[in-house]
Amino acid sequence: MEEFFQQLTNGLAVGGIYALIALGYTMVYGVLKLINFAHGDLFTIGAYLGLTLLTSMSLMDSLGVFFGLLLLVLMVMGLVGLIGVLLDQIAYKPLRQSPRLSAVVSALGASIVFQNAVMLIYGARFQVYPQDILPRIVINIFGMPVPLIRIMILMASIFMMGALYFFIQRTKVGTAIRAAAEDQGAARLMGIDVNRVIMLVFLIGPALGGAAGLMVGLYYGQINFTMGWIYGLKAFTAAILGGIGNIPGAMVGGILLGVIEALGAAYISIAWKDAIAFFVLILILIFRPTGLLGERVAEKI
Amino acid sequence: MIRKALFLFVAVCMAFAVQSVSADTVKIGLMGPMTGPWASEGQEMKQVLDLLAEDVNENGGLIGKKVEIIAQDDAGDPRQASLAANRLSTMDIVAVVGTYGSSITEATQNIYDESQIIQVANGSTAIRLTEKGLKYFFRTCPRDDEQGRVGAQTIKDLGFKKVAILHDNTSYAKGLADEAKALLEKDNISIVFYEALTPGERDYNAILTKMKSSKPDGVFFTGYYPEAGLLLRQKSEMGWNVPFIGGDATNHPDLVKIAGKKSAEGFYFLTAPLPKDLDTPEAKKFVADFQKKYEAPPNSIYAVLSGDGFRVIVEAIKSTKSTDPDKLADFLHKKLTDFPGLTGKISFNDKGDRIGEVYRVYRVDGEGNFVLQP
Amino acid sequence: MKEKRYIVYALFVVFLLTAPLYLNRYWLEVLNSVGLYAILGLSLNIIVGYGGMFHMGHAAFYAIGAYTTAIISTSYGVPVLWLMPLSGLTAGVFALVVARPIIHLRGDYLLIVTIGLVEIVRIALINNVFGITGGANGIFGIPRPTLFGYKIFKSHQFLYLIWGCVAVTVFFFYRLENSRFGRALVYLKEDEIAAEGSGVHTARYKLAAFVLGAFWAGMVGTLFAAKMTIISPESFSFWESVLYFMIVILGGSGNIAGVILGAFLVIGLPEFFRGLENYRLLMFGAAMIFMMIFRTQGILPPRQKVFDVSRFRKGGEPI
Repeated sequence: MEEFFQQLTNGLAVGGIYALIALGYTMVYGVLKLINFAHGDLFTIGAYLGLTLLTSMSLMDSLGVFFGLLLLVLMVMGLVGLIGVLLDQIAYKPLRQSPRLSAVVSALGASIVFQNAVMLIYGARFQVYPQDILPRIVINIFGMPVPLIRIMILMASIFMMGALYFFIQRTKVGTAIRAAAEDQGAARLMGIDVNRVIMLVFLIGPALGGAAGLMVGLYYGQINFTMGWIYGLKAFTAAILGGIGNIPGAMVGGILLGVIEALGAAYISIAWKDAIAFFVLILILIFRPTGLLGERVAEKI
Repeated sequence: MIRKALFLFVAVCMAFAVQSVSADTVKIGLMGPMTGPWASEGQEMKQVLDLLAEDVNENGGLIGKKVEIIAQDDAGDPRQASLAANRLSTMDIVAVVGTYGSSITEATQNIYDESQIIQVANGSTAIRLTEKGLKYFFRTCPRDDEQGRVGAQTIKDLGFKKVAILHDNTSYAKGLADEAKALLEKDNISIVFYEALTPGERDYNAILTKMKSSKPDGVFFTGYYPEAGLLLRQKSEMGWNVPFIGGDATNHPDLVKIAGKKSAEGFYFLTAPLPKDLDTPEAKKFVADFQKKYEAPPNSIYAVLSGDGFRVIVEAIKSTKSTDPDKLADFLHKKLTDFPGLTGKISFNDKGDRIGEVYRVYRVDGEGNFVLQP
Repeated sequence: MKEKRYIVYALFVVFLLTAPLYLNRYWLEVLNSVGLYAILGLSLNIIVGYGGMFHMGHAAFYAIGAYTTAIISTSYGVPVLWLMPLSGLTAGVFALVVARPIIHLRGDYLLIVTIGLVEIVRIALINNVFGITGGANGIFGIPRPTLFGYKIFKSHQFLYLIWGCVAVTVFFFYRLENSRFGRALVYLKEDEIAAEGSGVHTARYKLAAFVLGAFWAGMVGTLFAAKMTIISPESFSFWESVLYFMIVILGGSGNIAGVILGAFLVIGLPEFFRGLENYRLLMFGAAMIFMMIFRTQGILPPRQKVFDVSRFRKGGEPI
């Protein structure tokens, strides 16, 4: 039983990261109905930018661990958000009126560009975050050793999701985003500047992805230029699992996916872990064709 | 329509452009993963060969000509590798060094063999590559069975009774794990855990938790250094003190960087000797030159092995004073004995495999240095 | 306009037929690679271009075809090309079984399921499922194909074999496009509900398109296995499926000539960028974006079909 709970915390830690990346996927999808395949690479860029800022500015020394980290997170989120906006302006905006799949190919092209740009700038070798930035404290929960940083990561993703949910549901700008997601034409008629909404979405979504990249760097220490592809795919799976376009769905999907992977590895087979996760996904979609929390969409006639 | 016509026109032009390379150099090809997940290996292979070729050219060149390195990207993918091989074989090269992965090399073996080009692989350890009787194929890396044997011996010497074996389902790691498993079971050492992880991930806690519950005395991980570093780090975060042993793919300074000095301490691995541990003047000069040119020591043992591939080719051309593939192959098979390589003495048998005891056991000390074990 | 198009097609055929005269082996191999991907693209085009289904797991069927050929030819010594229909059939049956429950999923949900499918197949191959796939090593020693008593192993021989298959594919799919089946698919893609309302059995047509595409990809698997003589799981990754997808969309989904052009761009272009070494893929990615931005419908989008209605009017007078 103890092993079961240990594996559960393993799954929650992985799932928290998936969820955070999935949030960005789902936001962009909700408004544009675009699967942003470059999202995983924005996550990579977040991890690399975080490393550069961390090693070049020594924020921790001047501001202390907490405020230094906070500033670092904000800077990374801001920069990756800007890259996201640029990406949209260059690669997606000209394709708004064309078939949806054209934008998908453009996104795949952008993914290749980002990946190789990171390789050319930082080199193909693995990059490593300096160790011991965060205190390595292990706390005991019901006699089970759990590293503190793992709890912090989960808390941070839940906090970000909560903040995002509040922003979308309770603020005026959030209402505009929801309106644009519902029906762009009608939103425009109501006086909402849809272009600005899209820009905002491309600021927030990639920023969350960048934050996730920074967290992965801080926690696991090792980053490389191809890592975004796997994380991006997992996050896309998570977003679909929860019902794409739905913010709590991304969170539920991410955490569920992490837990399925950990338990699948523990009790069935490690080598088949990803296959098991996809199999469960397919089963869920057969019975709930729009994901766990996705709304059932009536076909318009 | 116009675009298509233009495209074909350019295709034809470029096809001709390729063939008009100057003829008064000795061309040696390099096939390696310059892009894709193994790009760091391929790019370092290129650095090593560039350095060595420069050295040859400064010292009077080869049979009165300059040496020229022609690098082609195989992207670590069999289909692209076969294109790279076809490309190289039309570029008038004498020999080719590469490549890294076994199945990638295999996709190119016939192409070079049919074109009568000497191929010296640097990282392809799968046994079957040299079991086909190809006359022009050699490799500077030892085979999986040799490494499996040394690995099993090391585990026995360390006195483990219950062993966990973890591989990553690449043909190299799986081959090594299978070899070691068979040998260990023969000696009544029980294998309590035998599974594969998915390379390229970050979180291996689930695997470590599962492995821990099988209570092994030691773990043999046959995969690559990025995963090994993470495993070591996450293992020590879990507070689990089991000794880890790795194969030669874990021999990389980044292992210590990823794991951290504290977590990496006590990690054993098998590898061909590092150039810094060889007393030969060749190895010393190489390390010094590399440090001088690229301002960092060489990282990957496979890149150094590609350097050895280049050096045996150069030696063969020098000694036979010819670029005839049959003469070169004959020389490498029979006459090259105990050639002072960057990774120890090199001789080849009739299959093209490197002869002799190559593997050494290293241990990581508290400062993150790789220390040769007696 | 129409004649101009035929002149280009004719020039293209002449170029292919005479290519061995002035192209070296490397460029012939590039053409072979393009040819294989052109067939794969065309088979995916049935599903994506005509059927309108988001399918990013086509490599799964390609892999099943290739492995069927490899396993049977190495263990029973059956001549490789004879296995083409069988490989296609295996892939087709597999597609039928897996597609039935998922075919009704909407766009992006279908997309992730097909991605899951190709990953499951790849993981199964790597883990040596049923002990027949050879695990990560793959299967080697696949015999070379023979055709009318000639052993095919040289690049130019493969050129004719592969592009011959492209020609057969083009002919078949061209006929299909203009058949009742093809028209139903196009209708379905344009407006599924209206199609259903007009008596088109949408689920059945979608499934048929899916299985046909898979069948064809399975047959290309035979060609690939025969050409490489070794196959291993890394040739059938998710990224492969992405390449076919890009070929179809970039070239012009729903247009045969467009898909072939797409194969030239997606597979040929990285070869042109070889001189750039490490910058090779960066340039390729940038080129993808630019081509997509400037030709948002794909480079050669299908022309609006004009059905000749005059024969339905008395005397052929315009209304």
